[in-house]
Amino acid sequence: MIQAIVPLARRLAPRALMIAIVLFVLVFSALQPAFLKPENLIGIVRQVSLVGIMAVCMTFVIMTGGIDLSVGPVLAMAGLVAVFALDAGQALPVSLAAGISIGVLIGLTNGFLVGVFGLPPIIVTLAMLSVVRGSALIVGGPDLHAIRGHYSYTFIGTGSLVGLPMPICLFAVVATAAAFLQFATPLGVRVAAIGDNERAAYLSGQRVWRTKLAIYALSSFGASVAGIILTSQVHTAAATYGEFGTELDVIASVVLGGTSLSGGRGSVVRTVLGVLFLGVMNSGMAILNVPIDGQLIAKGLLIALALAAAELQ
Amino acid sequence: MASSSQAFEAATSLIEARGLTKVYGDLVALDNVDFCLRRGEVRALLGSNGAGKSTLIKILTGAVAPSAGGIWLEGKPMPLGRPEETIRRGVACIYQHSNLAPAMTVLDNIFLGRQPTNWFGLLDRKRQRREAVALLSHYGIELDLDATVGELSTVKQKEVEIAKALAINAKVLLMDEPTGWLAASDVRRLHETIRQLKSRGVGIVYISHMLDEISGICDTMTIMRDGCVIAEADVAAMARSELVRLMVGERLARESGSASAVKRRPRGDGTIRLSVRDYSRNGVFRDVSFDLYAGEIFCLTGLIGSKRTELLRSLFGAEPHDGGRVELDGRPIRPRSPAAAMAAGFGLAPEDRHRDGLMLNLSVTENLVMTILGRFVRGILLMHGAIEASSARSIAALGIHPPDGSRPVRLLSGGNQQKVLVGKWLNLGPRVLALDEPTVGVDVGAKAEIYAILRAERDRGVAVLIVSSDLEEVMTIADRIGVMASGRLTATHDATDVSMGQLVAEIGAAE
Amino acid sequence: MRVSIGSLTLVAFFLSVLAFFSAFAPNFATAANMENLMSGFSFVAIVAIGQTFPILLRGIDLSVGATLALAGMTAFDLSLIAGWPGYLVLPAALVVATLAGLVNGLLIVFLRLQPFIATLATLAAYRGLVYSISGRQLVPSLSTTPITDPWIAGLETYYDLGSWLGVSSLVRLPWFPLSFFIMLAVLLLVWALLSATKFGRNVYAIGGNAEAARLAGISIARTVVLSYGLCGLCAGLSALLLVARLTTATEALGVGTELTAIAAAVIGGVSLSGGVGSVFGPVVGAFLLGAVLLGLTQLGISQYVQQILTGLILLMAVASDRVAFVRRRKRFAASLGEGA
Repeated sequence: MIQAIVPLARRLAPRALMIAIVLFVLVFSALQPAFLKPENLIGIVRQVSLVGIMAVCMTFVIMTGGIDLSVGPVLAMAGLVAVFALDAGQALPVSLAAGISIGVLIGLTNGFLVGVFGLPPIIVTLAMLSVVRGSALIVGGPDLHAIRGHYSYTFIGTGSLVGLPMPICLFAVVATAAAFLQFATPLGVRVAAIGDNERAAYLSGQRVWRTKLAIYALSSFGASVAGIILTSQVHTAAATYGEFGTELDVIASVVLGGTSLSGGRGSVVRTVLGVLFLGVMNSGMAILNVPIDGQLIAKGLLIALALAAAELQ
Repeated sequence: MASSSQAFEAATSLIEARGLTKVYGDLVALDNVDFCLRRGEVRALLGSNGAGKSTLIKILTGAVAPSAGGIWLEGKPMPLGRPEETIRRGVACIYQHSNLAPAMTVLDNIFLGRQPTNWFGLLDRKRQRREAVALLSHYGIELDLDATVGELSTVKQKEVEIAKALAINAKVLLMDEPTGWLAASDVRRLHETIRQLKSRGVGIVYISHMLDEISGICDTMTIMRDGCVIAEADVAAMARSELVRLMVGERLARESGSASAVKRRPRGDGTIRLSVRDYSRNGVFRDVSFDLYAGEIFCLTGLIGSKRTELLRSLFGAEPHDGGRVELDGRPIRPRSPAAAMAAGFGLAPEDRHRDGLMLNLSVTENLVMTILGRFVRGILLMHGAIEASSARSIAALGIHPPDGSRPVRLLSGGNQQKVLVGKWLNLGPRVLALDEPTVGVDVGAKAEIYAILRAERDRGVAVLIVSSDLEEVMTIADRIGVMASGRLTATHDATDVSMGQLVAEIGAAE
Repeated sequence: MRVSIGSLTLVAFFLSVLAFFSAFAPNFATAANMENLMSGFSFVAIVAIGQTFPILLRGIDLSVGATLALAGMTAFDLSLIAGWPGYLVLPAALVVATLAGLVNGLLIVFLRLQPFIATLATLAAYRGLVYSISGRQLVPSLSTTPITDPWIAGLETYYDLGSWLGVSSLVRLPWFPLSFFIMLAVLLLVWALLSATKFGRNVYAIGGNAEAARLAGISIARTVVLSYGLCGLCAGLSALLLVARLTTATEALGVGTELTAIAAAVIGGVSLSGGVGSVFGPVVGAFLLGAVLLGLTQLGISQYVQQILTGLILLMAVASDRVAFVRRRKRFAASLGEGA
């Protein structure tokens, strides 16, 4: 019996996440038919769009065995800068550019410290988390800043396009762009090479520092976009957004998608699946009225399982 | 009569190993080896690189567990693959690579893991120092017990390793190339120590290429090749020529390069491709000067520890250097990174294909194009079609099996992995192609194929620089041969002018 | 005991920081401020001492903040909900914290997870666990009830050494908190452990050259698991001191402590590359950070700027650790003799 299961499991493994998502959707909708309603399903995806955008952008960093703990404060900072630019009378594109640029700048700093100075990513992004949060608090203070008017800006978070909420559309765009980067440009191969064997990549003539610069900038880019969407959704900007735990959700999605934290194979597509899975689990547990700590424990267990499975492969 | 000699055997037998086998994937490092050692016996372990000597030692010390076979120490079975057990039972080893904690003191390293404690469980520092001082003076080793090991010279570090092994007061002492860096006086002292231990009944295994030393200190010898023991004899009973014959194989011992049917082209087409002058790196290699011609294969050989790999790495920009000039096609080059060296036309296939050469979880195609990725980029797009075509061409030309570009490299056999490694560097189309131990861990069939590939490159005008410790390989493929010892280039020969025996002598010559 | 140039520089730097703030910040060089420094940062120093073990082993423990919260909430629940007496609550909380650390060690050794991954996972897991066992959620009315058990509250005691030594007429000495003395005791114990026991030497050996340690017969698994357990124990001890000071425990206890503890350790010269550093460094590092933060507060520098500076200080510490590592590697180049 076991002889039959192991090869079966091995063949199913790459599809495991898809199967799990379908399975859980079926289970939840059996327990609670309202789960399958289109509003609910769309709601699920909208809930995870922000984490999803950050997760697909952080996938490359994690594929190289690195990590970016600073995404939360970057999210806050980007939203703050964009909104302040708007309030200062700048046009929409300029304000968006300002918010995104500040994020990319932070990402380039991370990439520089990690790629050129060779400092460990965990510590660099941990320190930058503090630096950026403090900076955001200086720029915006601890208060909330309401967004008045600026309907083109708030459309980003609250509007719809072709019947789908904007956040979902933006998630789709960013995910597609990230997938494009991974599969249609050399970046994907370079990142996979560094993640599999950084030393061999260096000795094969790869300019590892350049790639690292790019991927940390990309990770912060994702956080900036998420920040703009968030502020637009809640019509408020605050330096305290992206509080502790945001980066964990992002990392968890990537890990659930099957990308190993110790670097190597990974894919934007799998991260998207991981994000959707997280969304299904969150929604399912909410609909079933599972208490908060039960949810946390379930999530923790799932992540632990995914981690162990990824490492043992 | 039989029983008393059996009793004698039992009384004096120290180590008995039967059927030791070690397989790494599809590579058989050790093939059903039996090994015995008696009290007070000094056994030389001989064989060329890859013969299995280091693997045997690692199994005897428990560093590695064998795939099959067993070991008995003084008649009692030994647990396998457990270093703490073998040390407890009295087997000490001086390994080839450094086994010291560089940030700790000499005293700490000598007693690593075995510090004496008082009855509180605390370290008995005074006793530790007393024992260390006594040990060092007894064996005539001079060391500053409070020096930081990492800051000592290589020679002194070797002495710390020796002291560390002696401190175990072992019944069996294994030494893997112990004298590589030692000066003549130190070697004499080490041999005195060995004689002392021998008279106390300690069994000693001595791996070395230095045939002169072996005749001086060893009683018996075991000769290995390709993972098997091919001969055992008393040292006194065997002539030097017979010894060389056994170590490197019948055919090659008698031949020199000229007798071989393969055409040699020393100095290729006559143009100097790479010129190296007074190339130095402090503490590693010194004043290395040689010319490499277009269209020739130049083999750099020597013992482990002669720093040939370091030389290649510095030339390739992967490691720094402190002096000297390098010119490629007449232009001076000073690459600061592998990428820069590659841009100048220099490629290096590293020694350790798992650690430095290949991305094991990536596909064959991805590995093959890793060095030339930039050539397949149009704008920002990667040209997948062109990459597949290039990969298919390489796979066919190199005979990589199975011919599937999408297969992860780790699923290939060792020989095929090596072909992917070589292929990736051929794809670069370098003017100078350097290879560090190009056929290590590769089966005979793949070896021949790789030699053919390298000769084809040479015939196309590429300057090929090979570092190899395998004398059989050197004699097979080299047009010219260089000998390096302790970081210096000591001799250069045309392959046709030198015999295997001469090479062995030059390599093993004391400084 | 060999004192390296690095540690002298550290102490000199610490003293100059004290001098700087004494000169420029009002109320810095006062007894009250010194009390703040000691009571506010002794517990950080204890966490930093605990963090020394994983870092010496070339690893890291990101979960110390969460472990701290776990131990604190355990104390809260046992004391206020279960009504246990203090002399049982204290050891129980310490046991919980040690177990949390041991789990980290086991994950690293047996699942072969990299330390930062394992402790990142436990960071999330333990924090989640804190929420689920939180007495404040289970019995909301207790969230305003202070813990008054004498054993626990007694940890927050101050000693007027000035009058005890009879010098209070000459100089106004600060009142020394018990946490400071506990910290000193832990410091001495750990120092003895690291320098005078086989276990301690093994930690340095594994961090310096794990393969050499293995070949010398040292049990890497046992040493690693125990080390992470000790790290957890220190976090637990800190939790008790903190809970005593706050007279309660919250779910957000210890957030950000891992950053400060790691910063203190790296500033204190414990190298992230393993095998280098002593336990005095992290303590100096913790008080250095504390002095800087308190001094900045008194200079009127906002909390936010302080946050930025903490991050920058950590970056500088890591950068200088990296420089020291590269220099060490150059000096040790010959010892890593590989290749032909």
